[in-house]
Amino acid sequence: MSIEIKTSTLEPIRHTFEHTKRRFGDKPASRYQEASYDIAPEKNFHYRPMWQPDKLLNDSSRTAIVMEDWYAYRDPRQYYYGTYVQARAKLQEVTESNYAFFDKRGFADRMSDEVKAKIIRCLVPLRHMELGANMNNVLCCAYGTSTVLTQAFLYNGMDRLGIAQYLSRIGLLLDGNSTDGLAKAKEHWMTDSAWQGLRRYTENTLVVEDWFEVFIAQDVVLDTLIYDLMYRQFDEKITEEGGSDLAMLIEFMQEWHKDNSRWVDATLKSTVAESEHNKELIGRWVADWQEKAVADMAPLAEIAVGEEAVNASVEVLNKRLAKAGL
Amino acid sequence: MSVAAITENYTGERLDRLENFHGNQVIYIGWDQHLMFCAPVALALPPDTLFSTLLEDVLPGAFSQHPDFAAVDWDAVEWHLNGDEFKPQPGKSLIEQGVDHKSSIRFSTPGLDGIKGSGS
Amino acid sequence: MTSKKLNMKEKYSLLTRDLEWEYSYRDYEEIFKQESFEGIKITDWSKWEDPFRLTMDSYWKYQAEKEKKLYAIFDAFAQNNGQQNVTDARYVNAIKLFLTGVSPLEYQAYNGFAHTGRQFGGVGARVACQMQALDELRHVQTQIHAMSHYNKHFDGFQDFPHMHDRVWYLSVPKSFFDDARSAGPFEFMVAIGFSFEYVLTNLLFVPFMSGAAYNGDMATVTFGFSAQSDEARHMTLGLEIIKFLLEQHPDNVPIVQRWINKWLWRGYRVLTLVAMMMDYMLPNKVMSWQESFEVYFEEAATSLFKDLARYGIEMPDYAADAIAEKEHLSHQAWSIFYNYGHAAAFHTWMPTDQEMDWLSEKYPNTFDKYYRPRYEKWREMEEAGERFYNPTLPMLCQTCQIPMGFTDMENPTMTSYRQSVYDGERYNFCSNGCKDIFDYEPEKYVQAWLPVHQIYQGNCGGAEMEDVLGEYYRINLGTDNLDFHGSPDEARWNAWHNLQPAEDKLKKAS
Repeated sequence: MSIEIKTSTLEPIRHTFEHTKRRFGDKPASRYQEASYDIAPEKNFHYRPMWQPDKLLNDSSRTAIVMEDWYAYRDPRQYYYGTYVQARAKLQEVTESNYAFFDKRGFADRMSDEVKAKIIRCLVPLRHMELGANMNNVLCCAYGTSTVLTQAFLYNGMDRLGIAQYLSRIGLLLDGNSTDGLAKAKEHWMTDSAWQGLRRYTENTLVVEDWFEVFIAQDVVLDTLIYDLMYRQFDEKITEEGGSDLAMLIEFMQEWHKDNSRWVDATLKSTVAESEHNKELIGRWVADWQEKAVADMAPLAEIAVGEEAVNASVEVLNKRLAKAGL
Repeated sequence: MSVAAITENYTGERLDRLENFHGNQVIYIGWDQHLMFCAPVALALPPDTLFSTLLEDVLPGAFSQHPDFAAVDWDAVEWHLNGDEFKPQPGKSLIEQGVDHKSSIRFSTPGLDGIKGSGS
Repeated sequence: MTSKKLNMKEKYSLLTRDLEWEYSYRDYEEIFKQESFEGIKITDWSKWEDPFRLTMDSYWKYQAEKEKKLYAIFDAFAQNNGQQNVTDARYVNAIKLFLTGVSPLEYQAYNGFAHTGRQFGGVGARVACQMQALDELRHVQTQIHAMSHYNKHFDGFQDFPHMHDRVWYLSVPKSFFDDARSAGPFEFMVAIGFSFEYVLTNLLFVPFMSGAAYNGDMATVTFGFSAQSDEARHMTLGLEIIKFLLEQHPDNVPIVQRWINKWLWRGYRVLTLVAMMMDYMLPNKVMSWQESFEVYFEEAATSLFKDLARYGIEMPDYAADAIAEKEHLSHQAWSIFYNYGHAAAFHTWMPTDQEMDWLSEKYPNTFDKYYRPRYEKWREMEEAGERFYNPTLPMLCQTCQIPMGFTDMENPTMTSYRQSVYDGERYNFCSNGCKDIFDYEPEKYVQAWLPVHQIYQGNCGGAEMEDVLGEYYRINLGTDNLDFHGSPDEARWNAWHNLQPAEDKLKKAS
């Protein structure tokens, strides 16, 4: 038998806002849609920015990529602020308990000094690279055109800060909060030849003007390579070498990368599919940055994993690009 | 005055240049003590509009809803143009007597000071 | 191995500040291009005091919890048709004004803080701005979601972003924020982080939320409570930026002083809309504009500037002008909207007798003397079937873009006129504040997209008022605009509550 609580009926006079209705039809729009489409200012900007007088305040010419409709994108995760923070809070909760468990059971003491040193040399310096990623994605957020894109960039940017913070905590867990680990890792980042290529790459991305190119250099090329290298290959390697407990500490990054990749792929795919112009341009950017990245990551890859590591990561990148139609 | 910007010589487009008004110029007219009209009105008129045309054809459209309007003694009206006293010449065009683009005219009607003397 | 316990500050510093490194492959100036052109001198970013210490994991955790609760309320509100429980359908116009006028500013704040969140050379300041950017995105999105249900049952919400970009009175808030965002990153922070978030929040955000609380709008007030804890963070950031700039270099002091002067006036002018909302649009009144201005501006600003005095910062001169206007502002604003009720995307009305008495009581020096006679006349005209609409477009102030409805405080029945001639062209203003702002940066303000001039230039859909309002503004004529009395909103409300149709309908029917 069924139960039916009656509530008073009021026929709505419309199901959603006009702009969402124009896009998705006259039916209740999802919260993601109402929060993401057509809400950015578009016209009649009053003053040209003092910091870039040759552009309008919001100006889609801040990239060479051309889109008929900048709202042609869709985040497959459908993140708006609420769903985004809730998704991350969930990941965070588990991560927190992993870190606590690692700490409580004294897993750091179970690791050999070599393993610890290797993690501090090869993994922890990524915290600086993540800060670069944070800046790059926030730039894309500030200069991108539609909320569908810009919000995802901001989420990505904040995620990178979060990851940098987790990496720092790994350093602290390994050195018993003495902060030596972090100091050493920074030293590696600043002077160790294994890292200089990547640091140069990162600093170079920070001066790129075209925000879509920044996206390619950072989120597509560098992240694909480095996340594969460090969070897949290095994870396996360090497990072999007796550092299997590291797995608990980097689960966040692995899960995050899986989640984030869905959005990166979708974004790339939509842009490439838009026009030959875009495809050609992105192809060129990818080629440039990939060449640099491969060379720049080689020394680290060698030390962290071994000979074949770079090629394995490049293969992953190529697969990904192919999927996006490149 | 120049503006501190990232490049030298930040210049802004003058959005309300006379040329943009398709042959008209904008003038503003406010009637003192009649704030039932919340603000001075803006009118787009050819610069060679005669002042008499303004008086006879334009002002009634803007202000005649006010009960005082019918009672205005136009000879007694006091005029200001861009802040200075001003004696309009009905037979002359706006531009001839200095009423140029974006000029602000206000007039007061002595003895008529709005609804119940409240300035409305 | 026993671990050392790090205190919060050390830990936060390791997790944030310490991520920064000395660039060596590229120059600092290349990476942070916009840091110097405003003339602000930063000698040492490490002196930045973090206004709050929230690591991302905590941020996610706490904000997720807040969001969960908030959306639980939104769901329940929609399920239960909570919109039926507001005091009166007139109230809803206050939140139409909010969604069209204020929520898009949250969006701009999101955009602006993302920008400074990349441009500042100090990682502490960058991260604080980024977090605020994220919060501001939260605000605009939750506001949209809060109003989404109202949009299903009332007119005037449906095209808010479109309207914000175009409609005449919405160019007031829009140009305000465009002004801030087009300024350099430091000026933006003083404009928004300090003047707007710190000094003026209680006069903008709070009256809307309190209005919601007093008028049974559970969705909005819950959003308000939920946003408060974000606002506290924003306020501390606003304070920190001011202290930081003033302490970094003595040359910053006069620059900051000028910005404060400018932005308090710019912000204050935007509050004109709030003043009228408080005094006219809330069926249950929270407090009068004057009272709230006295408590939240006069008193609070006084103690703030007493403290700032130690840095050599003075209370802006315009504060006196603002104070002088407090007994007139809301009435002059409502008069403007009543004049142009046919061109507004919300409804207008004349106060009831009871409401007029409240206004007399709250404004003993001005209401009966200056405004009641006007309203009574208008009501008379209404009853005679001659509802007064102003048929001609108004003159606007070049800076704040409000119709020139403000008067001379020496002589409150005289419109206040100011004019500058720049580069051979005349520009008109409503006040000293607005004129000075123009005079200091004329090349900026000559660009203003003034709605009335744009209409006369033919850039707004056509020459006919109907084209402007209907096609270009997308105001649905006869539903979104005109008097509340006789609107579909009113009719639906009466139907839900089984109220008798208003008398005039009866008359018509007979």
